[in-house]
Amino acid sequence: MTLLLRRGSELRLLVWVAAIALTGFVAVAAAETTAFDRSQVLVPVLFVSMVVLLHAFLAARGLRGDQILLPMAACLTAIGLVLVQRLASSLLANQLSWTVIAAGAFIATILIPRDLTALARFKWSWALLGVALLVSPLLPVIGREINGARIWIGLGRVTFEPWEAVKIVMVVFFAAYLEEYREVIANTRRFGPLPIPPLPYLVPILAMWGFAMIVVIFEKDLGAAVLFLGIFLAMLYMATGESFYTLIGLALLLVGGFVVYHAFGHVQVRVDTWLRPFSEDMRFGAGYQIVQGLFALANGGLFGAGLGNGMPDRIPIVWSDFVFNAFAEETGFAGALALLALYLLFVYRGMLIALRAPTPFLQLLAAGLSFIVALQTLVIVGGNARLIPLTGVTLPFVAYGGSSLVTNWMLVGLLMRVSDLTARARGTE
Amino acid sequence: MEITFGVLLWSVRIAFLLLVYVFLFRSFASLQRSLASERTQARALGTLVVERSPAKTPRVGERLSLRATNAIGRDAGNDIAIPDEAASARHAVLEQRDEEWWIEDLGSTNGTLVNGVKIEKRERVRFGDEIAIGRVALRLER
Repeated sequence: MTLLLRRGSELRLLVWVAAIALTGFVAVAAAETTAFDRSQVLVPVLFVSMVVLLHAFLAARGLRGDQILLPMAACLTAIGLVLVQRLASSLLANQLSWTVIAAGAFIATILIPRDLTALARFKWSWALLGVALLVSPLLPVIGREINGARIWIGLGRVTFEPWEAVKIVMVVFFAAYLEEYREVIANTRRFGPLPIPPLPYLVPILAMWGFAMIVVIFEKDLGAAVLFLGIFLAMLYMATGESFYTLIGLALLLVGGFVVYHAFGHVQVRVDTWLRPFSEDMRFGAGYQIVQGLFALANGGLFGAGLGNGMPDRIPIVWSDFVFNAFAEETGFAGALALLALYLLFVYRGMLIALRAPTPFLQLLAAGLSFIVALQTLVIVGGNARLIPLTGVTLPFVAYGGSSLVTNWMLVGLLMRVSDLTARARGTE
Repeated sequence: MEITFGVLLWSVRIAFLLLVYVFLFRSFASLQRSLASERTQARALGTLVVERSPAKTPRVGERLSLRATNAIGRDAGNDIAIPDEAASARHAVLEQRDEEWWIEDLGSTNGTLVNGVKIEKRERVRFGDEIAIGRVALRLER
């Protein structure tokens, strides 16, 4: 019994998640049918009982450490389900089954491998797996092209975006590699104030990163390219403490952006719709989605139109690309702020776990994983708000899409295991 | 009837927004609590006082708090980082087992000394003993 009470704060937070899921579904469904109906309660009840089972599993397993990541991931997922019901209710059953798969993946991450540090021993297998996953959409038979981007693999009716999983694989590989060679990479000779990077030791990670970039550019996946560059630079910076690398990265981004802009038509379209979405030729063409998104944001005002009461269905493909705008329209600035604060707290928690982790590998792993969530949120919300060009990155946990949900829950599982190891090493709860 | 439904619907909408904020603050408070209890639980089991040190870090006289297991070495990832050239990246581990302190050398290049004697592999350390790693000397205290 004491074993089960050990994760008490987690359970108490889950009560609030249950309340959020329930009110969210009732608000959305009641607005559609103008009546309260018992079936509206079914989905949130199913979801919450699943999360409580996850909690019971963790408690029974005696997992120590963090107790807020599971409720926060569950809260974001619940908001995501509410928004799928609101924006594309025909896809709800689909998203719900992906949620169950994500929960299964989470449990698997908690159980396997037995020894988390063993992940570092197989770093070359991770590199290989990352490469295989990246190339898989280009293969015949399993590769699929959806909406002009060939970034999917499919088996029958089920499709999966492999690069979502590549993010995690890449972080594991970088963390393992940088732990081993950090010393030589950090001890750079200097040319005046400029460090001379020890190139031979950087070759494997540069190769891995370069390969990823070529593939995602080939697959026309702009968001993935930005994320890979970001993860690569952030981990290099965190491992070496050399701020010079971030400057190089910024330069690479500008130069690369310039080259890519002039070389690829689809990138030009993205940048043009970002700079002048309201111009004559854009307004009802390429810029339509972002313009409608901006109107939705403006329509939201301070407290929003009320969940279920806005007009977010006027944005094309709103359930996957523009969920943030839909949420901001219906809950207003107040709701958008709360959502961003949730991500902020999630990333803050992840970074705290990283700071306390006992080995460099675990530190880099936790920091890299938290950074994925941070950068991804920044890139997509920035794109939605027309702060930066729009890219096809998903809003973690919230946006419709199975691959993203599954990998994000695995990410939570990994963070919680690092936290568990830290608590055991320190002898705290 | 329709008005009551409308009022109910609006209260649900407002409740949703409020609940998200309540959850946010509860989560934050929970995190703060766990960090605070971590601090009290992880109170130092012992201290290493820096006796000799050729460089600025660690400073002579500095007191480093110990946990149950402490990795010592030149690498910044160690619990006790000793940026001395004569120390190995992962030099030694100092840990408490059954109220006794033990130090284990992790195959360092220049070895670990307890009270001036080079240790073989594992060695018991008592309070007041001096541990030398590279050119840095540390004394174990309560």
